[in-house]
Amino acid sequence: MSAAAIVRQDLADAHALAWDHIARPGSWWTGAQRIELASTVLMAIEDVEPLPPWVAVSLSDRLPEGRVAPDAAHDAAYRIARHAGTMTADVYRHFADELGALSYVELCGIVSSVAAVAHFCRNIGAEVPPLPEPVAGEPTGDQPEQLAPAELNWVPVAAPADRTAAVVQAYTAVPGELENTWRMASAQYIPEDEMIHADWSRRPGGLTRPQTELVAARIAQLRECFY
Amino acid sequence: MLSWSSTESGEQADLAAVANGSDGTGIEHGDALLRFATACGGRDDDLLRAARSELATITDEAFMIDAAAVAANFEMMTRLADSTGARMPSETLEARAAQIGVMGVAQLTSRR
Repeated sequence: MSAAAIVRQDLADAHALAWDHIARPGSWWTGAQRIELASTVLMAIEDVEPLPPWVAVSLSDRLPEGRVAPDAAHDAAYRIARHAGTMTADVYRHFADELGALSYVELCGIVSSVAAVAHFCRNIGAEVPPLPEPVAGEPTGDQPEQLAPAELNWVPVAAPADRTAAVVQAYTAVPGELENTWRMASAQYIPEDEMIHADWSRRPGGLTRPQTELVAARIAQLRECFY
Repeated sequence: MLSWSSTESGEQADLAAVANGSDGTGIEHGDALLRFATACGGRDDDLLRAARSELATITDEAFMIDAAAVAANFEMMTRLADSTGARMPSETLEARAAQIGVMGVAQLTSRR
């Protein structure tokens, strides 16, 4: 039996829902744009000769012709997918100026969720499922009633800012990405309600909390993520 | 979180071993887990295949898959943190100064 065949159901469901989510119109990008950007993320992650962080993928020959998402979105997608640890406030401001701050946040949600599914498949020795066909429709424009600048993030967040951890509030300006991300985190890592419990385990004989955090710490270090 | 959870559970994780990718993590099955996590975060498919097999053999397939899912989660969360400029409050940084030093991450570009 292959590893993919025994993935627990809640995890398989979270990843299937993530793929479905990416294909649907978001707050600021159409389904077609989101799927196109997801393809760039997969290409960046699998790239055997990656571009350095300072080279825009849109200036290379690695993207398809006739693109529906702007070049800056592909550049940001590639950079975050492959070199997230090199992001700076100046680079963020460049992309936010080009794309709009909330469109940028939604793009980050696409990149991070695609990265999770792609790496999970590689980790267990399975093929990455093909991206679905995009769902037609215009972006919804969904956003919180009130936004606020944050001290703990570059990106704007749902008001009030800085009442929770930076990673928790990071996607609050784009509710669809927030929901998808935390549904995935619950299945991949720890349900939010269990975060404070050092003795939590998903099942008897499953990963203990220290074992879980050991894996987390090593990946964060390898990705040069200070947070 | 590793330091906190290991202390709370009566184990004592060796952060230096985790940082160096070396044996002696102080956590049950930790050395095999560390080899697996290191391979997940690398580019060598043969190394990953071997580490996956080792971990599944000494634990079981479901344990390996859960570890793979945690690794995938931090592929997601590191991109979330670094693309949105997430940073910790200064008091948190002060409280974690020792762990930051041992993990050797104080000079990273992503420190904000």
